Amino acid sequence: MAQSPYKGEYQTFIGLEIHIHLLTESKVFCGCRNVFGSEPNTNVCPVCMGYPGVLPSLNEEAVRKAYQVAMALNCHLNEKAVFERKNYFYPDMPKNYQISQFEYPFGINGWFDLELAGGSTRRIRIHDVHLEEDAGKMIHEGGISKLDYNRAGTPLLEIVTEPDLVTGEEAEAFVQQFRQMVRYLGVTDGNMEEGSLRCDANVSINESGKGLGTKTECKNLNSSRFIKKALEYEIKRQTKVLNSGEKIIQETRLWDEGKSRTSPMRTKESSNDYRYFPEPDLPPYRPEKKYLSEIESSLAELPRERRIRIMEEYGLNEQQALFITAEKSMADFFEKTVYLKNKADTESDSNKIDTAFAGTVASWLSGNVQKILNDSGLSIENSPLSSDRLLSVLNLIENGKISAGIGKKVIGVVFEKDTEPEDIVKDLGMDQMSDTGELQGVVSAIVDANPKIADAIRDGADKQIGFLMGQVMKATSGKANPGMTRNLIREKIFKQGYISEDKKNA
Amino acid sequence: MQDKAHKNSSGWNSVLSESRDAYLKYVGDWEEKIGSFIEFDIDRISGAAESDVSHQEGALAGVPFGVKDNFAVESFNITCGSKILEGVASPYTASSVKNLQDAGAVVVGKTNLDAFGMGSSTDNSDVKVTNNPWDTDRVAGGSSGGSAAAVAAGLVPFALGSDTGGSIRQPASFCGVYGLKPSYGVVSRYGLTAYASSLDVVGVMSRTVGMTRTVFNTMKGQDIKDNTSVKHPGSSNSGMVKKIGVLKITDASLSEDVERSFLLSRERLEKLGYETVDIELPSLAYVVPVYYTIATAEASANLARFNGLRYGYRSKNGNDPGELMQSSRDEGFGDEVKLRILLGTYVLRSGFQDQFYHKAQKIRTAIRNEFDNLFKSVDLVMMPVFPTPAFKHGSADLDQFQQKVADRYTCTANLTGLPAIAVPSSVEKGLPVGVQFTAPAFEEDRLFNIAEVLETEFPSPSPSGTKDWS
Repeated sequence: MAQSPYKGEYQTFIGLEIHIHLLTESKVFCGCRNVFGSEPNTNVCPVCMGYPGVLPSLNEEAVRKAYQVAMALNCHLNEKAVFERKNYFYPDMPKNYQISQFEYPFGINGWFDLELAGGSTRRIRIHDVHLEEDAGKMIHEGGISKLDYNRAGTPLLEIVTEPDLVTGEEAEAFVQQFRQMVRYLGVTDGNMEEGSLRCDANVSINESGKGLGTKTECKNLNSSRFIKKALEYEIKRQTKVLNSGEKIIQETRLWDEGKSRTSPMRTKESSNDYRYFPEPDLPPYRPEKKYLSEIESSLAELPRERRIRIMEEYGLNEQQALFITAEKSMADFFEKTVYLKNKADTESDSNKIDTAFAGTVASWLSGNVQKILNDSGLSIENSPLSSDRLLSVLNLIENGKISAGIGKKVIGVVFEKDTEPEDIVKDLGMDQMSDTGELQGVVSAIVDANPKIADAIRDGADKQIGFLMGQVMKATSGKANPGMTRNLIREKIFKQGYISEDKKNA
Repeated sequence: MQDKAHKNSSGWNSVLSESRDAYLKYVGDWEEKIGSFIEFDIDRISGAAESDVSHQEGALAGVPFGVKDNFAVESFNITCGSKILEGVASPYTASSVKNLQDAGAVVVGKTNLDAFGMGSSTDNSDVKVTNNPWDTDRVAGGSSGGSAAAVAAGLVPFALGSDTGGSIRQPASFCGVYGLKPSYGVVSRYGLTAYASSLDVVGVMSRTVGMTRTVFNTMKGQDIKDNTSVKHPGSSNSGMVKKIGVLKITDASLSEDVERSFLLSRERLEKLGYETVDIELPSLAYVVPVYYTIATAEASANLARFNGLRYGYRSKNGNDPGELMQSSRDEGFGDEVKLRILLGTYVLRSGFQDQFYHKAQKIRTAIRNEFDNLFKSVDLVMMPVFPTPAFKHGSADLDQFQQKVADRYTCTANLTGLPAIAVPSSVEKGLPVGVQFTAPAFEEDRLFNIAEVLETEFPSPSPSGTKDWS
């Protein structure tokens, strides 16, 4: 018999399990290359294929990156980290057990301050950070199952949060901010489409104050948007179930983006007993204090700290700083550009930052440069534009060699041709026509060709000078120096003389 | 000692050249009787060895040897004595074998074993039957029975074995040869098919102590491919032995022959001036259940990789990859292997680990502590190897369960990681009996020294009809 429906607001508990694919040269337990997109079964060896007699050999680079993430997430680092075997049969897993960590992972009991809309933050607890190996891939084609073991044995880092998130929107924000952080650390490219960042979400609802409810796990969340949509769907579904007096079944559900809903994959009853036990082929990992403090001191500045510092040091507003620090590569580019300018301007090593210039750099980056990046699909670090080149463009503008409009064009050509701004300006004749002689000829011809206008100016209609200026600009493709042009026009009309319309008629 | 090894091998390094025909006939005749090799081909690798000058100068230049067929050796198959790995070619060579090849030794074949090293008779091989050269009605022991039989029959001067619970020492004792189980981690396991990773060690069997020592010294060394391997620190006392703890026999199951031989060994040591004292090992009562809990738990995971998908036997039954794996394993594994996988899966179930696996690990630590304490007052511990001499094929003498219970004297060294050696002591009613010495960790030199003294003073005979090629 169903109880009378609960009238209050349900409390929601969301926890995330995030897998990130670590960017290491080789796989986590063998020397095979760790790359995405190779021909099937080309990055394999007896070790990652699980041949008889092979043993895992731990990749130090993966361990280092695991510690970087654990530290950035403020985890307690276990004195002794232990690898364990997680036993289950699956055709894409060569050994039919996965080497993972269970009881003593690298990091436990951490936290991440999630930034919420409106500027406040909420602390999300991190249950643990552990290192494991990925499986291969099985593809079903027609009646055939094909196996590709290239991914088998590549390093995965799993980050498990406590169920501290309360909305789908928060979960989405968490994944975005977490992704930004791990990209800053340089441990992963965080590409969700290629599977280098994968996320499963646990969600339960319960009557307020009664603690966790029965959870369901959502899988197949291939973008941060799906996380939000799937969780919002799942919270609504669970609410409906509870309101109708039914019970939630603990199960794994798959998000179907096409149908915008989750559907059951398997229930807990049919889930595996993984029979974890310590991996006898790998001794417990006991990091030395010196090793850990060396990693800690070389840890990259995290996005939030950097944003605050950049606002303070460079006088950027929050909007600008958010843009500049969204990606580490952009923030690096920005700071380097300002640094190069500073170095060129001051003979002594002055630390005083030209905040006006910094503002200019920020607006160029967020405006024109970002537009070209969007159009070309490039990111700043692998584009032809370098800090040196942007600085050259800005210097050319400041020195009056080119106009801001030409500057934009020059950057466009840098992206196209991958050459130096000075050469572009010279080769394409984009520099402002400051050579009086050359400009004089153009002005003279324009005035001569427009005697009526010249007469009007002569007779006091000074505003008409703008029309002639426009004509000169047109004729010089915008390269004429505006001040000089104005003077030369006056000089021509008032001093040198021209064949006036009056005279012609006379 | 190196000189002795050279003397031992001086005849052996001619069998692949001048004495080739005589050697091949000798091996062929004996193999008909004992069936110790799964593959035998002296040309498979020796051609390459001859062209390489460094091989002719190594400590084991031109010396042939056999390798238990659970080691990877490039250009040979690796069946592990099983149906599920029939026809599987090894794509690489085990580090221990590689070290021996670098010293000039030549692999001439792969020896028979109980499938995946699981058994005490080699009768659990899915490939063939191996007989004891002393009495072909009897087993050669196991699981390294092929290696022991080949060495005892004089087919090779030494052979590699693996020892997880006694698999080198027990067949060595059954066949009257020396069998060394080194300290855990001293010889790389890379390339040895894992049965129970925390217990498995690579070891050697030979008819002489000198050869045993040379092979061990050549094989050992830390290996980046085996994260559990360690650098051997050398002996703490130059391998000196004065006082030997002798296990007080309270075991009713010990056969009269073994007991007589054991008492004889003690008498000899005392005659040679060693001090002997009675010792007791209360934990001996627990070693078999502890051993089978840990070994099968690890085995259940280690053998999970054999599923017929990437290599080896693939069933014709099964409509999807899951069913295909199931039927390949069902048809490809023998009963003893299935029994151990099931037992290991059982003890690792969630909710039962405290009762079985974790408890076994605690007792394992206690056993090691018991030995550490013993070694505060004695230099070596002397125990029987096995309660009986070689038994007959089939279950008439000892059934599979009794064979497991009989592992108690040998599996102790695997649980503790300590080095141990089986030394031929006497021949009783036509069958050899060995005695076992256990030393503190990394004190293999003490084992060689005591074995060498006994070898010199009380040389052990070989089975009739065998030729000494050295």
